[in-house]
Amino acid sequence: MTEPTDPDLIALATPYALHAVPESELADIERQVGAAPPAVAQAFADEVRAVRETMAVVSAATAVEPPEALRDRLLTEVSTAPVVELRRKARPWRTTILAAAAALVIGLGALGVGLALRPAPSPSTAEQVFAAPDVRTVSGQIATGGTATVVFSRERNAGVLVMNNVAPPAPGTVYQMWLIGDKGPESAGTMDAKAVAPSTTAVLPDLGSSRALAFTVEPPGGSAQPTGPVFAQLSLA
Amino acid sequence: MLTPVARLPVVTTELDALLRQVARRDVEAFASFYDQTRARVFGLVTRVLRDPGYSEETTQDIYIQVWRTADSYDPVAGSPLAWLMTLAHRRAVDRVRSEQAASARESRYGAANVDLPSDHVADSVILRDERRQVADCLGSLTDAQREAIQLAYYDGLTYAQVSERLSANLATIKSRMRDAIRGLRKCLGIP
Repeated sequence: MTEPTDPDLIALATPYALHAVPESELADIERQVGAAPPAVAQAFADEVRAVRETMAVVSAATAVEPPEALRDRLLTEVSTAPVVELRRKARPWRTTILAAAAALVIGLGALGVGLALRPAPSPSTAEQVFAAPDVRTVSGQIATGGTATVVFSRERNAGVLVMNNVAPPAPGTVYQMWLIGDKGPESAGTMDAKAVAPSTTAVLPDLGSSRALAFTVEPPGGSAQPTGPVFAQLSLA
Repeated sequence: MLTPVARLPVVTTELDALLRQVARRDVEAFASFYDQTRARVFGLVTRVLRDPGYSEETTQDIYIQVWRTADSYDPVAGSPLAWLMTLAHRRAVDRVRSEQAASARESRYGAANVDLPSDHVADSVILRDERRQVADCLGSLTDAQREAIQLAYYDGLTYAQVSERLSANLATIKSRMRDAIRGLRKCLGIP
């Protein structure tokens, strides 16, 4: 068998699998692996897998029993509904909400609200959502005050989030939005204190198979997966 | 010279079945999965975070993620234990980096070694046996290899930070990491 021809890339497989490459290099490595000849990509994947299987066994060396109370907390959390669904407002689709949302999109879009959403909020996406034949609105109160509303269209595969009078996140934290789908939560962007008050809109450009939009409190820059409890959730089902 | 041990008794088949049940929201299966893996996860997280409070919180987050994403486990991609420990290590390292606690931890603890924790150790017989085998295998690495794994895997440093810390060039650090894993893998008899 011939050696794969990209020793520089293969040499990164071990640090990659040990989570020892900085966040800033991850995407580039993954792109290189994706573009590499099959033999190189396979060699990279084999190395990553070997490292992970090895360190899984090595975990015996550092094993420590956790406190008993953790088990009880976890079982309680998964046995009871982990998330209190926001009370759905018992009112049908209303033009006023859409109009308000549209006005906010235009108004705040022009001000360049500092949302760290994946693609830049695009008025055309919002317009498409508002014009879609299957447009729907879900709205709920946030426990700490304020309202979150999502105007969305499955046909357009997009939505617009409007937050009104929601308290800003505590200093040193951000709100992170998650689309909850078949593969678990996927980040839909973060909002810092500046972005939240007093009203915010954000475009959700790819709803995919998501069934709900959830909100958590996360460290600055957001997390790869939710680390805080879900404090609000809107059903998109 | 250490001889490779027989395939370690990692209960892959059973964990695999439990994970499939967890994906179907089976709380009892989740409890069994937790019981069979909790000491490994909590121990690794504690080793990385070095703070009991953070470690408990992070372990809780990890198992909630297991509950939510068990259906994303793909047996073709690796063992359930590797899936879990990868997820756990990722969360712990993310936490360390977000807390930017590396420098603080270091000044408190100095250059830590891959020593075994002496108290509150997991008491399952299988784990105890495995622990001894792994300790022997870690002992079979060179000091330089062990140090590279310590700094990258347990202290959450990037390979560039490890290279600065040890005043060695990047290529040297990467090959030390690779050789350390190869040594462990061979010694542990992992296919």
